Order: sequence, then C-alpha cells, then structure tokens
Amino acid sequence: MNKSIPISWNKYNFTLLADRAIYWPKGRVLYIADPHFGKAATFRYSGIPVPEECTQEDCNRIEFLVKKTGAESIVFLGDFFHALSGKTSEVREILYNWRKKNNHIDLYLIRGNHDLNAGDPWEDLNIQSHPDPSKIFGIECRHLPIETSEHPYLAGHIHPGYTLKGKGKRSIRAACFHLSTQHIILPAFGSFTGLKNIKPNLGDQVFITNGEDIFKIPL
Amino acid sequence: MDQSSLKNSPKSSLHYGEKTGKKLIPELSNEKINDFFKSRNWKAFPFQKKTWKAYREGKSGLVHAPTGTGKTYAVWVPPLLEWIEENPKSSKHSPKIRVLWLTPLRALVEDTTRSLRELVEELEIPWTVESRTGDTSGNIKAKQRRKFPTALVTTPESLSLLLSYPETKECFSDLRAVIVDEWHELLSTKRGSQTELCLARLRMWNPSLRTWGLSATLGNLEQAMSTLLGNEKVGILVDGDMHKKFVVKTLIPKNMEKFPWAGHLGGKLVEQVAQAIEKNSTTLVFTNVRSQTEYWFDALLSVRPKWKDQIGIHHGSIDRKVRTEVEDRLRAGSIKAVVCTSSLDLGVDFSPVEQVIQIGGPKGIARLLQRAGRCGHQPGATSNIICVPTQAMELIEYAAARKSMQDKKIEEREPLVAPLDLLSQHLITLALGGGFKEKETLAEIRSAWSYRNLTDEEWGWTIEFIVKGGKTLKAYDQFKRVIKEDGTYHVQSRIISRFHRMSIGTITSDPAISVKFQKGKTLGTIEESFISRIPKGSNFFFSGKLLTLIRVRDLTAIVKLAKSGKGTIPVWGGGKSPLSSELAKSVREQIEQFRLGKSVEPEINAMKGTLELQAQWSQLPSFSEFLIEKTQTNDGTNWFLFPFAGRLAHEGLGALIAYRMSQLKPMTLSVSINDYGLSLSSSSDLDINVSTWKKLLCPDGLIEELLECMNQSEMAKRQFREVARVAGLIFQGYPGAQKSIKQVQASGGLFFDVFAKYDPNNLLLTQARREVLDRQLEAKRLIDKLEEIQSQSIVLKSPQILTPFSFPLWAESLRTQVSSESWSDRVKNMAQELENNY
Repeated sequence: MNKSIPISWNKYNFTLLADRAIYWPKGRVLYIADPHFGKAATFRYSGIPVPEECTQEDCNRIEFLVKKTGAESIVFLGDFFHALSGKTSEVREILYNWRKKNNHIDLYLIRGNHDLNAGDPWEDLNIQSHPDPSKIFGIECRHLPIETSEHPYLAGHIHPGYTLKGKGKRSIRAACFHLSTQHIILPAFGSFTGLKNIKPNLGDQVFITNGEDIFKIPL
Repeated sequence: MDQSSLKNSPKSSLHYGEKTGKKLIPELSNEKINDFFKSRNWKAFPFQKKTWKAYREGKSGLVHAPTGTGKTYAVWVPPLLEWIEENPKSSKHSPKIRVLWLTPLRALVEDTTRSLRELVEELEIPWTVESRTGDTSGNIKAKQRRKFPTALVTTPESLSLLLSYPETKECFSDLRAVIVDEWHELLSTKRGSQTELCLARLRMWNPSLRTWGLSATLGNLEQAMSTLLGNEKVGILVDGDMHKKFVVKTLIPKNMEKFPWAGHLGGKLVEQVAQAIEKNSTTLVFTNVRSQTEYWFDALLSVRPKWKDQIGIHHGSIDRKVRTEVEDRLRAGSIKAVVCTSSLDLGVDFSPVEQVIQIGGPKGIARLLQRAGRCGHQPGATSNIICVPTQAMELIEYAAARKSMQDKKIEEREPLVAPLDLLSQHLITLALGGGFKEKETLAEIRSAWSYRNLTDEEWGWTIEFIVKGGKTLKAYDQFKRVIKEDGTYHVQSRIISRFHRMSIGTITSDPAISVKFQKGKTLGTIEESFISRIPKGSNFFFSGKLLTLIRVRDLTAIVKLAKSGKGTIPVWGGGKSPLSSELAKSVREQIEQFRLGKSVEPEINAMKGTLELQAQWSQLPSFSEFLIEKTQTNDGTNWFLFPFAGRLAHEGLGALIAYRMSQLKPMTLSVSINDYGLSLSSSSDLDINVSTWKKLLCPDGLIEELLECMNQSEMAKRQFREVARVAGLIFQGYPGAQKSIKQVQASGGLFFDVFAKYDPNNLLLTQARREVLDRQLEAKRLIDKLEEIQSQSIVLKSPQILTPFSFPLWAESLRTQVSSESWSDRVKNMAQELENNY
C-alpha cells in the first residue's frame, strides 16, 4: 500500500496523494478539489449541530501536504465555500490563521457552482479567483467536468466514490480519483463531504483512497 | 343483521331529543344502548357492551380481537352516544373536535374515515368526520386548523405536526377520546413511541381524556395497554376474541424426494396453488417479500394465461393509484386473486375474500393469525389458510404454527426504551408549539411508558443537544435551533420551523427510482442498486408486468412493455422478519415429537424421509442437545450450528463466533445464516473440541465483543441513518427540493464519522449501537440462547456429505465475511478476487 502513486497522464507526471489531492512536481503545484469550507457552519445555521473541527483539520491537512511536497502554489478546483451562510466568523478565523502561516504560497481558485452562491473568498485570504474553465500554468482546470473537451483537464465537482465488491456481502466504499485520457476527476478534499459512485468507462483508471492509503483498482 | 353491512340498514327512526321532547335525557343505561341497537336489528356483542360501559364510566382501555369482529363499533359508538346525550337538541353546527382517531397506515385513513362517517350519517347528527395526512392538500389542512372536524382521522406523524402549532391546544379543548387503531403495529416501533409522546401531551392538556386502543391478539396485552395509556393510568382490557375458527392446511408436495431442501421458490407447487384459487371466488396470496410477489404473479399467469385481467398484484413499491385500484376491486369482489405482501396485512375488511394462501414460512404466529383473519367474514364462517412451502423445513413451521395457534401462544411485542432521537424531535415540536418549561415537561415525558425510566443525564443531554448541538461542542452563535428565554424553550428562526415541520416523523425511506412508462403512467418505485445492474434494453418484472428498460434519468426509469422473453426480478432492501422465539420453540417441539415417534401432524409425516436422513447421517438433536456439524466441501471447512433462534440472532452469533475464532487463529471466515442455524466457512481447517466450543459459545462479554464486531462491519454507521433522520440531522430528500435544503444534505454515515471523531460521547451514537444490538442482532435473545446452550450437551458430528439441516445453509447465497484484516489487506484481497474473475 502507498501513501502516494506517481502517474503519467498525457504529457504530465503527477503524484496522486492518499490525502485526496494531486501534486505536480514540475510546476510545484498542489491540486485540491471541493474543500467546501464552512459546510458545518451552514448546517448549524439550519439547526443541524455539526462541530466545526472539520475546518481546522482540513487546514492542517493542507499545511501538511504543502510541507511534505514543497508546493509553491495551490489550485482549488472549485467549491472553496459551501454556502454563503457558512462564511461565519469562526470559519474566517481558522482560514485566516492558516493563511498567515502559509503566506509564501500562491492560491488560485476556479469558481465552482457553490462559490457562485457563496461569493469569492475574503480578500485577506489573498486567493485569485478564476472563471470555470481557466488555464493555469498551462493546464486546463475546471470545476464542472464536461463530456468532450479540446484539452485534457483536471476537475472536481463530482465527489467521486467507488464501491469495491468482494465475494458475498463484502464491500468497501471509498473516495477515488477517476482518470481517463480526457480528464482527471479529483476526490472531494473536505472532511465533511459525501461521495457519489462513478461508473468508469473502458480504459479508465480508478484509484481509491481512505485518506491514508491509495490503491489502484484493477478494471 | 351483520354489523359490517351497516350502510344498507334502514335510516334511523330514533332521534334523541326531538322525539322524546325532553330537555335532559336520563343517563343512558345498557338497556338504552340495547334499544338503540335493536331498532337496527343488531345484536351488540358482549365485548362491545363492555367497552361502551367502560367508556361511559370515563375509563380508558384496549380492545383486542382478530380483524373483522366489530372492534370499530366497540369504540366508535360510545363517543357518539355521549354527545347525543349531552346535546338533546340537535343543532346544525358541527361540534368542536371530540374524537381523534389514529391509524398506522396512511393508506387506511380514507377507508376508516368513510366507515366512521357512515354511522354518523345514520344517526343524522351534525358531526363532521375528516381525514388529515401528508396527502391532504394545503388548503384543506389550513381550513381544518381554523375549524377542526368533530372527529379527525389521522396518523401519528400528522398528530405530531399538529402539536407544533400553538393554536392546536385551544382547538383541542373539548377533545374527549383518542382511538388508536391497529396499536399492535405501532407498539414496538419509533412511531409507537411517537404516539406515546403525543398522547402524553394531549393528556397534559386534558387529564380526563380517554384513550382506547384496538389491537390484534398479542402475547403481552397488559403491557401493550400500559404503553398506550401511559404509566399513570389504569385501564380495562377487553377481550373481543369471537373464537373464530381457523383452519391451517398445507400443500404438501406430491413427490417429497424431489422437493428442494434449499428453497427454489416452491415453483413446483404453482399448479396446485392455481387449483386452490379456482375453487374459491376471491383469494389473497401472501408472500413474505416483494420480489416473491412478482415471481408468484408471473408464475400463476404462466399456468393460467387467461387470468391476465382477473388477478392483481399489491406490494409497497407499487404506485398508490395502482394499489387503490386493486383494493377497490377486492372490495367489489371483482378480482379472483391478489398476490401481495404485508401491504395487505392491515386495513378495512375486504368481505369477499374467502381464502388466504401463505407462500413460504409464516415466521410468526401473530402474523399467520392476522393473515388468516383476512378471510371468512360471514358470522360463524371459518378462516381458511393454505400454506405453500418453498423449502422442506417450512413444513415443520406450519405444523408448529398451527399448534401454537391452538394453544394461543402468541408473540409479544415490546415497546422501545427511550429513543433519544425521537425525544429531541418531539421537544423541538413542543418548543414550536408554544414553547415548553423544563420541569413540567420532563414529568410529562416520563408519563409515557417508553420514557418512564428516562435518566436525568439523558434528559439533560437531549436539552443540550437541541439548544447547543451537544455537550462537548462549544456554543456557536449561528446555532439557534431552540432558545431558552425566561425558563421557556422555544423556536424563533423561521427556517428552523419550516425544516422541522417538514421532517417530523420517524419513517426512513430509501432513495428510490420511480418506474414510468414513456407516456407518463407511474408504476411504482424500485431501488437504485437494482436498476443500475439492468442494462438498457433488458427486461425485468415489475408491478406484474414484463418491462424493457429504455433509460434512467433524474431518478426515473423509463420503461415500455416487453414483447416477450425472460426478465430479472428486482430485489428490494429491507430484511425478512426472523422466525419468532415462540414459533422457533414450537418448531423444536415438533422435531422432539417426531424423535419420540409421537408426531401426528401431516406436514411432519411428509417430512419423515428427510428427518430420518438427518438422524441417520448426523443427528436429530433433543432438547438437551446442541448439534454442531462439520463437513468438508470444495470451498474448505464448514461448521454448521443449529440454535433455532431466528436469522437476526444467528447473524449476531455468527459475527461473535467468527470474531472469537479469529482470536484463536488469524483467519477470514464467511458466515451464512437462516432461521434455523448458521454456518461458518473457512479455507483452512481448525480442530475444535467440545470444551472450545463451549468457550466460543459462552455468553460472557458478549455485548462488548458484539460492539467490537459492529465497528468492523460498520453496522452502527448504517443504522445511524435512521437515528440522524429522526433527530433532524438529515432531511428526507425529495426531487425538486429547494436549494436551501440541498445545501444541508449529508449522509448518515458522514454524520456518524464526524460525531465519532469529534463528539464520541454523543448519545445518539450510543443509541445507534443499541438499536443494532436490539433490532438487528436480537442480542437479548442471543444471550438467552447462549445461556441455554451452556446447559446443553454439545454434539459434534462430521457427516461426509451435507445433511438436510446443513444443505440450505450451504446453499444460502448471501454470505457475510468477518475479517480481522486491515483496510489495505481487505482491499488487496478483494482486488485479487476481481482479477481472478477475468
């Protein structure tokens, strides 16, 4: 089992990280999709008690990945925020403290469907927001995947999951990276996010991860 | 005259008040009630009279009787007479609400309303009788809230919703009685606990309120009544058993040697079933699961193609309209047979039904009685039920069930113990409905039987949960679910009020795909996991039709009628009910009678060859023996154990033994279960002697170890879906839900993970674990069984081939595996299996 798996995709060499992110060593870029910051706060706003600790943990995870890889930039592939009602002072404080500690890196955001409602991140987080799709460092970055694209692209939005079935009633369901020649769909990064099972086509590759180990599914 | 043909009786000639010309009617005596019935040529049954008298004396109680014996009139007549007595001058205005009638099924509400209304119209009194459910239009609901009908027929959920409106209290100020129909159905469910909590509130408003329950016969009627009346009231138990005759017959396969040991859906008996249907005008064919309904409907048509328009199919996944059509035809007697599931167990009587057929094991005595009661409504008629086995062992079940019915050994149904998810839902309802104060409300909640032992700690936690979101969480500004002001808890936020009212209730429905024709007619719903396995253009059976899948889009499967060919039968989720303890005990007795050569039952006689083979190849265990067989097959070593404790307890036992065995030697075991026993299979062999088996089957430490198994198999996580839904963490999604709702959708599993990590002492997690232990693994029954085994002698047998007892277990296709491997190893092994398949 591995903490990461190097892959080559089109002309790029990427590293798929078990912690639901991709690193591109050549460009020193970390790709993260769908963190959905403030989701717990949105739930609380509607009267559903969810602890805030997820936000802090997700920031810690990013910090750890930046340190481990030596990334100089992060590209968020959409849905940075979950909803407007989740942009609360607690969330802001956690994100701001995290940014202060990591002010040496450049942050980019492809606006996802949730960001359109929630609005761009607070200015003092210093994140450059871009429309979907945009080319960043020469790679097409999207939030919403599309069926056919002129260029191969990285995308989020789906929160891809995969159920591995064994004999009898055994099964394991986990988040996954879904690769085709056309695209790489990243798993959702946020700790408080769900999964939607994908159906890979012939020739696709699927890597499942539980946050600690990553494993290529034989298809 | 038969009371069920009330609508044809002549109009009443007796008008209280007007005809007598007196201002005050003297107190109604039993004699008066008799006169009242006599004018209609009725003879009131003694149990009805007893109920009327008790009601007049201000008492509450429970009437228990099989269906179709006049329970309804026992409780519906007295509130009407009471009003007539109090209002000698008839007025044109409908009185304030006086009777609340609760029924467990939404589908029963309309039928009930209709039949209650008939008597009101007969009496020509200005009462209004209306229904109110989730299906009632918003217009009518609003109108009702301004002026309630005199009698309201509704469900526990709708009543709970009414309590969330502050003005309900004033509207209900003249409420005299609550009638709870089919109480046995609600009793041991969260809906039952919800009913208890609602009743506690109504009694608080009006301490003289009378509560009357109607129930089928149960093993614990006293407890059922206490639960309904709350623990402060004493009630009267009325036995309405008319000693109706039941005849249980079994279709015995002609050629027993060829009869499958492992259940092939009993297809060999289709012709005999068709012949039985031919002999009667109307038959209900009950199966235990929805997929069997589809199978049998198709099988009957294949032997009698001309029945295409004469037989119907009815189960919970079929569209309401289609079901109503079938029900109407049943009532009119214009249908030959209906193949159905428990969807037709309850409800207003279908008087034309002459015969009931039960496919597969009945699994419980009460259930077989209930189903048998669906036929033979003519006074003095016999209820005929024909049993159709789908595997050999079920023959014993029928003989056992008949014996238990004769001996009146009926199952008990126990109320739940203080579900906190429901309590938090109910407290928010009270907070919305005018607010609540802590001290008096705690007393009110504890007056409900299920909550009588609610601890201060549980109460405190629940209050904290609805106010702050939990004990260990710091207060967040924006979390304002329930607010405490001047000692009163209430809800301010409009969004929370709206969300809460939308999600009142305890029924958790699975996300389902609706099945529709291209032209738009909806047939019903099917599970996503099934439809995702059907390729486009392939056929499947649904709603009694062979359909071709055209496409699936937006939670809808578009289909057309298939021209011909074969199809797959969908499998719906939802477990089969386990063999009840009472029936299991009775099955053991039947085997014992056979062993002693004393058996006289025809089913056991037909099983003679099979049971003798079992005795010859292995053993027929006596009451003091516990049989374990060990047989080698191509897959490896199989151990078969026969506790006869029902499938749920066996699932728990399987997980437990597998866990304990893997502590002896690291191994992966697969477990399979049925109602009679369980098997453990492993690729490696292990020699286990009697004393090791005793240790493996020891009840000590069982709960802790089961909890450990539960963690590994994520059972509690799955169970958390229901808890989260009831506690208001999950909104039941529906297509077209507003964005504001979609933004706060998360799965039960996700909540479970988050709480387990950041709020591990959350009592809802504890509750989910307890629910798994109680409901999914029947831990209590398991402990009893293990204690019994400790006192038995263990008999180890090593037959060379599979025995009549072990074969069905070996053939059982659903196997669970218990493994002590890590996530990575499990993934690796499963991936390896996948690769081997290519």
